[in-house]
Amino acid sequence: MVNIYTTPTCVYCQMAKEFFKENNVSYQEHDVSSDAKAREEMINKSGQMGVPVIEVEGEIVIGFDKEKLMELLDIK
Amino acid sequence: MSAAIYAARKKLSVEIIADKFGGQTSLQPEVHNYPGFLDKDGLVLMQNMRSQVKNFGIDIKEVGQGIKSISSRQENGKEIFILEDKNGDTYEGKSVIVASGKKPKKLGIPGEEEFYNKGVTYCATCDAPLFGEKTVAVVGGGNSGLDSAMQLTKYAKKVYVLVRSDIAKGDQITQDKLKEIEVVEFIMNAEVQEIKGEKFVNKMIYKDKASGEEKELDVEGVFVNVGMIPNSDFLKGFCELNQWGEVVINPKTNATSHVGVFAAGDVTDILEKQTVIAAGEGAKAALQCYKWLASN
Repeated sequence: MVNIYTTPTCVYCQMAKEFFKENNVSYQEHDVSSDAKAREEMINKSGQMGVPVIEVEGEIVIGFDKEKLMELLDIK
Repeated sequence: MSAAIYAARKKLSVEIIADKFGGQTSLQPEVHNYPGFLDKDGLVLMQNMRSQVKNFGIDIKEVGQGIKSISSRQENGKEIFILEDKNGDTYEGKSVIVASGKKPKKLGIPGEEEFYNKGVTYCATCDAPLFGEKTVAVVGGGNSGLDSAMQLTKYAKKVYVLVRSDIAKGDQITQDKLKEIEVVEFIMNAEVQEIKGEKFVNKMIYKDKASGEEKELDVEGVFVNVGMIPNSDFLKGFCELNQWGEVVINPKTNATSHVGVFAAGDVTDILEKQTVIAAGEGAKAALQCYKWLASN
């Protein structure tokens, strides 16, 4: 299960979502600009406030770190 | 991007090596002055360029940390350029077009690094929505500072704008608009000294230059907009840079002081830093690069 915490204006969030679509990865998006609970959750999980924060099977990735995501999702 | 497109049209073998795709334009929520582009969203403009580049079969290597160094070696009496990224990977070419743009300047004060992404940010477009109902400070009274403040008024409950001198340099029209918004407060003659907090930012210290007094502001966010610096560190000692670190180019040919190395866009000493100008400069650089390669 992939969770992605985003804001509507964040460029790297959009790039990350596109990357998921290209690689047929299903994900659940949490818009932290409108969902205060998700915002707290993201800050607690990642210890910081930058978006995107991506959670892959409990592992937290801060920013759109493509290489790290490819490794975690086993994409070649 | 435009340099790559033009170079590919000339059947040169091209590779784009970038920190990350997108650049400053992709962070602009509204682009109103790129001819023929009606969509407004800067990211869409850059994505269109990326699709165009990909259609030419050009690979965009996103290396994350950017280029560390440039060097060269001789092969059959010709100079071969070697770029090394921060992961230690190297790329070789017969010519290089530098179009690495600019990045936000830092304040260089205590707490800035420590609280990066913990309240300190350089991108309101990216992060403003995270500061809903919070008190924030924008440092910088230029256009980018005023734009950040404007974006923040949609979310934050209080927006301080700290300006170093007694007048803000940004457009008067934006200043007037901001002054009418209740949550905005300008603080003039303010020199930011330190950012403090525990896990996240909760305070900022600044010096009131008029009185010499040190003052505190309770803020949870600090948006730094104090200008841009060119991404040209890796060129030091290889090409001539001006006092601001911009690559000095021949404005007609985009040639740098190092033969075979061209440069284009915001990283150079051209006077106007605009997306449409950078795109044109990239095209110029690629055409000149092609001519140079053909005659060498």
